[in-house]
Amino acid sequence: MKNLYKMIKISFVSGLLLASQMANAGTLENLERERAQLIETFLDANLDTSERLSKIENSKPRLIDLERMVLRDDKLNGRNTPAIRKAFGNYDLTFLVHASAEKNRTLFDLWLTQVGITTETIMVATKVAGPAN
Amino acid sequence: MRIASLRYLLASTAIVSCVMLTSSISGFADTQNGVLKTSPSWSPASSERLVKLPPSYLKKSLERDLAESQLGAAIKNNNENIGHKGNTLSDLQKTIETSEGEMRLELRHQFLAEKRAYLDLMERQIDLNRQQAKTRLKLYEKMLKEFGSKNASNSSGVKQLIAKQTLARSRFKSSLAQVDLKIFETASFPESQYAVKHGQNIQAIEKLLDHIKQHGMNQSLTADGVEMTKEEFIRHMATEAEAELALTDQDDTILGYMAKLVALDAMALSEETMDAELADSSLPGNSSPAQAVQFFVTN
Repeated sequence: MKNLYKMIKISFVSGLLLASQMANAGTLENLERERAQLIETFLDANLDTSERLSKIENSKPRLIDLERMVLRDDKLNGRNTPAIRKAFGNYDLTFLVHASAEKNRTLFDLWLTQVGITTETIMVATKVAGPAN
Repeated sequence: MRIASLRYLLASTAIVSCVMLTSSISGFADTQNGVLKTSPSWSPASSERLVKLPPSYLKKSLERDLAESQLGAAIKNNNENIGHKGNTLSDLQKTIETSEGEMRLELRHQFLAEKRAYLDLMERQIDLNRQQAKTRLKLYEKMLKEFGSKNASNSSGVKQLIAKQTLARSRFKSSLAQVDLKIFETASFPESQYAVKHGQNIQAIEKLLDHIKQHGMNQSLTADGVEMTKEEFIRHMATEAEAELALTDQDDTILGYMAKLVALDAMALSEETMDAELADSSLPGNSSPAQAVQFFVTN
């Protein structure tokens, strides 16, 4: 279980790092900021299920608009910065709302899959680390 | 005396015509009637600036640039002179038909001299046309190189990124309707202000694009009815310049044959004059005794 937390933490930190690289990226910077907020909501242990779901639903419209702004932004064409490269390197992870609707999956489910957390990896982590106390 | 000088003149015309014929075939000579001719220049605006212009404007801009240059003025001036010379030749031809005797001979000589002058002008015209076609061609090649270097300047990293961006956009476009249906069908929130405004703007943009497509000035993006990109259009113009150059070579050949005909006409005229002179002269004939037979057979 410790391993699972570690993996989630790494994903979160890398997400924040990516956001910090967006200093001058405009639309992409805004999208990454909103995405970081969403991931924080995913991982916030203080929220109960209904609060988490409500927060996720609230951020959806903003994410939809921001994802579309990035996809329609001609200024990003061929700008070979690490942030833009990474953003377009994985459509499912960057354009989470669109990809989840396209694949008919929840945002959280798709995000976990994209960061490499599946039922199998959790089962392996449980077996290696032992059951949580 | 008069006939002798005429003969001399005709002979010189024939010789000069022959010399011109050879120079026409081997290429344009810078000297004409012993006068050195300098080539007028044309340096079109830089290709970097031209490459940014819309294709239709690019063609017109080049034409205007040529018209304002020394070369353009020389082509125009020479073309006018050719027109005038053609009129002179036509007038002379008509006069020759109605004249007789020495006057006719004199006019025929003048006609030959004018034909030679016409060929001189035509030769210069071909050379000027060749010069402008070569300049055009060089410019188009430079512009095409700039296009090439622009495309080549993208590193493999940039190319990969562009490919990914294109892929992401096409995925977004193809799934947009499906995504909208899923999100807005179940969601409690309405379409955002951005989405509404974006839709309105897209409609406005499409209307404008429709008008741009139908605009007369935009039609010039097509050549021979085929729609072209700017690069293709420049390649098309380069081909036209190349064709112009090829045709000037053919014009040279035609001019060479014309010069040959002038030379032959001059030789024929010279021979005709000599024949007439010989007929008038008191050269001893070669008498045969057979012609005097009748004096001896009758008493």
